[in-house]
Amino acid sequence: MNPNKRIIHVLVVVCVMFLSLVTYLLYFNMFQAEEVATNPYNKRQWEDEKFVKRGNIYDANGILLAETEVDGDTRIRRYPKGRLYSHVIGYYSRTYGKSQLEMLYDKELLGHGDITISFNELRSGYDLNLTIDHSLQQYAYDQLGNRQGAVVALEPATGRILALVSRPDFDPAAESLEQNWNAIVEQENSPLLARATQGLYPPGSTYKIATTTAAYEKGLIGTTFEDTGLFEKDGLKVSNYGEKAYGTIDLKQAFSVSSNFVFCSLGYEMGPETVQETAQRFGIGKSFDFDLAMSKSQIQYKTMYPADAALVSIGQGQLLMTPLHVAMMSAAVANDGKMMTPYLVDSITTASGLTLSTTKPSLFSQSMSRDCAEYLDELMQNAVETGTGRNARISGVAVAGKTGTAENETDKDHAWFVGYAPADDPKIAVAVLLEYDGGAGGTNAGPIARNVIRRYLGM
Amino acid sequence: MSKFTGLNYRRPAYLLMLMNLLGFFLLFMANGYNPNILYIGAGLLGLFILIYTIIVLCNMGDKFIVLMACMLITIGVLLLCRINIQYGIRQIVWVALGGAAFFASYAVYYNIRFWNKLWMLYLLGGIGLFLATLIFGDTVNGSRNWISLGSFSFQPAEITKILFIMFLACNFSKSWTDPFYKITPKWMTWLGTYLFIGFLVLQRDWGTILVFFFIYIFMIYVYEKNLRFLALNVGAAAIVAVLGYKFLYHIQVRVSSWLDPWADISNKGYQITQSLFAIASGGYFGRGIGNGSPSYIPEVHSDFIFAAVCEEMGVFGGAAIILLFFLIAYRCFKIAITAQDPFDKAVCLGLTLMFSVQTFIIVGGVIKMIPLTGITLPFVSYGGTSIVVNFISLGIIQAISAKEERRTGGDSHESK
Repeated sequence: MNPNKRIIHVLVVVCVMFLSLVTYLLYFNMFQAEEVATNPYNKRQWEDEKFVKRGNIYDANGILLAETEVDGDTRIRRYPKGRLYSHVIGYYSRTYGKSQLEMLYDKELLGHGDITISFNELRSGYDLNLTIDHSLQQYAYDQLGNRQGAVVALEPATGRILALVSRPDFDPAAESLEQNWNAIVEQENSPLLARATQGLYPPGSTYKIATTTAAYEKGLIGTTFEDTGLFEKDGLKVSNYGEKAYGTIDLKQAFSVSSNFVFCSLGYEMGPETVQETAQRFGIGKSFDFDLAMSKSQIQYKTMYPADAALVSIGQGQLLMTPLHVAMMSAAVANDGKMMTPYLVDSITTASGLTLSTTKPSLFSQSMSRDCAEYLDELMQNAVETGTGRNARISGVAVAGKTGTAENETDKDHAWFVGYAPADDPKIAVAVLLEYDGGAGGTNAGPIARNVIRRYLGM
Repeated sequence: MSKFTGLNYRRPAYLLMLMNLLGFFLLFMANGYNPNILYIGAGLLGLFILIYTIIVLCNMGDKFIVLMACMLITIGVLLLCRINIQYGIRQIVWVALGGAAFFASYAVYYNIRFWNKLWMLYLLGGIGLFLATLIFGDTVNGSRNWISLGSFSFQPAEITKILFIMFLACNFSKSWTDPFYKITPKWMTWLGTYLFIGFLVLQRDWGTILVFFFIYIFMIYVYEKNLRFLALNVGAAAIVAVLGYKFLYHIQVRVSSWLDPWADISNKGYQITQSLFAIASGGYFGRGIGNGSPSYIPEVHSDFIFAAVCEEMGVFGGAAIILLFFLIAYRCFKIAITAQDPFDKAVCLGLTLMFSVQTFIIVGGVIKMIPLTGITLPFVSYGGTSIVVNFISLGIIQAISAKEERRTGGDSHESK
C-alpha cells in the first residue's frame, strides 16, 4: 500500500489543527479580549498610571470631588467628600478594581488618546466636570439620613443630573475599602448596590402617570367610576390604600387620592397590548447610554393577561424600575412629554483647562403628547395641592407630584414620591424612594422631595 | 536547473535578515540602548548566514525549512532578550550548538544506511533514558523530567522523542519483520509505545505523553490498512483518559482550570489567566516590542512564550508564528511524500508530526483552546535540549530531502 494518500489526509488534519488555532485566537480577540483585559486581576491596567496623574472630578460649580495625590511611585486617590459620592464616582482599588465613573471614564481619567509622548515624565489625565450640584447632593444625602433608599434630582429640559444619592453607602477610599471589603460585601443591606441607578423596585402608584397617559390617548379621561374600594377581576383582588372606598369619582380625583380601583379598572379595560406599548414609550425594557452602569427597567411577562395589565397599571406585578427612571418619568411630564436622556458628565477638560468634549442633551423617548403632558401636569399639581402629595406643598411655588406605596416581598412597603417644580416652568424633577419604609409614599418620601426642591429653588 | 539562478530562496533569506536587523535594533532602542542586544542580534544573524550558506553551497536539499526555523528562532531570541537578556545570551549559545548538531546529524544520517535495522537500540536507549530520569531526575514544575550533570541539565524526554520516532519508523516502514520472541513487530511497537507513555506518566509529563500518543496514532492511520487497530487504540486511550480524569487530581485540576480558570484566578487558574491577560492586552497589533509586561506571565520564557508574542506583537504576530509552523510542516510533509525509501518516509513523517502536534498542544493550551499541558514551543521557547533536539530533527529531515534531491537530479523541492 502506498502511504502517500493517507499522508495527505494527515496533512489535511494538521492544516485544520493550525487553522483552528488561528481562528480561535481571532475569535478570542474579537469577543472575549475586552472583558479579559479589563479584569481587575490584569495588572497591566495599572501600569499606565505610573506615568499619569489621574484626572480630577469636579461638580457643576467646580467643587473638587476626587483627586490623585502623587507621592513618588505611589498614587493615592482621594475623595474629599468621602462617602457622599460612593455610588456616583465609585471606587478605585488595586485589589478590587474600579467602579462607576472611575471605571466607565477610566480612559479619559488616564488621558488616553493623548498624543504627546513623554519619557518618564508625569502626564496629567483629563478632568471630569459633573452636572451634579454638590450642595444639593449633600443636602439630599442629609435628608435621606440613615434610611435606605435613593434620591434623584434632574433638570427636566436637559436630563442633567443634579443629585444622585443612594444609601446605604460605603467609604470609597481604597485603604478603607481593602480593609473592610469582606464586611461590606457580606453586609445584608448591600451597601455596594447603587440603588438610584441599579436598584430595581416596583414603582407603585407613581406609575399611574404612565397609565393616565394611556387613558388620555384612549379618550378615557372623561369617564367616571364607581369606586367600591376593591377591584376584583379574574381572581385578582386589589384594594385601595387604607381600604377606602371613594364612591363616584372622575380620573382627576382618582389620581389625586391614588385610587387603585380606578387605575386597575383602566388597565383591565385597555388591555395588555396598550399597557405594554405605553411601558415601551416610557423606555421600560430599553437600555440607554448613561454615564454609570444602569439596570434596565423591566416588564416581564411571557404572556400578559388583562389581570396582569390591571396590576401593572398601578405599578405592581412584574414591573420593576430604577429610581432614576421613575424620576425621568415625571421629568417627561415636566418637559412637554419629551423624556430626555439623563447625563452626569457635563464636560471633559484637560488639566490646562482646554475643553475636549461637552455633552449635549438628547431626546430619549417621546413619552406623551404635549396636550397629554399639560393634562397630567394639572393632575399632578392637584395631587400635591389636595391629594396624597400634600406633604410636598411649598408656599409660593406650584409643585406637581405623585406618591407611591409599592408592595414588595416583605410586609413593609417601599415609599415613593416623584414630582417637579415650579409647575409652570419646571427647573427640577425629583424622585425619592425609601426602601421598606412601611408608611405611605406621601408621609415620609414627600417631605424629602419638598425640601430638596425648596433648596434647589433657593426658597 | 534553478540551483543558483532563481531568486526564489534568496528573497526570503533577505527578508529574514531584514527582520533580524529591524527587530534587534528596535529592541535596542526600547530597552535602554543596551549594546548586548545588538551583539546578540549580530551573532544570530552571523550564525544564520553561516548555516544557510553551507546549506546552499553544499546543496543540502530543501532551502526553506531552515530559513523558516531561523525566522522562528529570531522571534524567540528577540523576546527572550526582552524578557531577560541572560536568556537571550544563553539561547544564542544553544542555537550555535544546535547548528553544529544540525550538520552533524545531517552527515551521520545521510551517510549511515542501516538506521532501519536498529529498533532494539532505539527501544533500549529510550528505556535507559527514562530509567536514568527516574533515578537521577529533578522535579521542575511538577514534572520529574530533568537530569543534571554538574551545572549542565537536560531533558531526556526530548531526546527520547527522536528515538521513539526512529523506533516507530522501523516497524511502519516494514524494515523490521522478524518477530521478537514470537511477538510481531506490530505488537512490539505497540508495547514499546505504551511503555514510553507509562514512563512519562510516572514523570507527570502530560504534554509529551500527548505528543507521543498522537504521533503513534497518526502513524497507525497512515500505515495500517485495517483501521480497526486505530479504533482500538483511540478507544482504549479514551477510556484511560476518563479514568485518569476520575482518579488523578493532576488531570482534574488541568481540566477545571481549562473550563473555568476565572473561578480561581489567584491559584489554580493563575497561569492560564495570566496568559489570557497578556493576549487580550496585546490586541491585534500588539503593544510593541518592549512595551508589554510579559514578566507577569509565569514560565514566559519556555512554555508560555506564545502569550508574550501575542502581547507584544499582537494576535497577528501570533497567527504569523502559527502559519510559519504550518509552512514548515507543509514542506516536511512534501519531503515525506516524495521520499522513496520507506524508512526515510516514515522518519520524516514522524518528525513532521512531532513539530506539528507539539506546536498545536502548547499554542492551543496557552490560548485556552485545549487544556494546558506544559511543553516547549519548538525553536521559539528557551531551552538547550529543546533547541538542540529540534535542530537534530531538522538535520535528519534535511538529509532525507537531500537524498531525494540528488536522486532526482536537483530540483524536486524547488517548486516555483
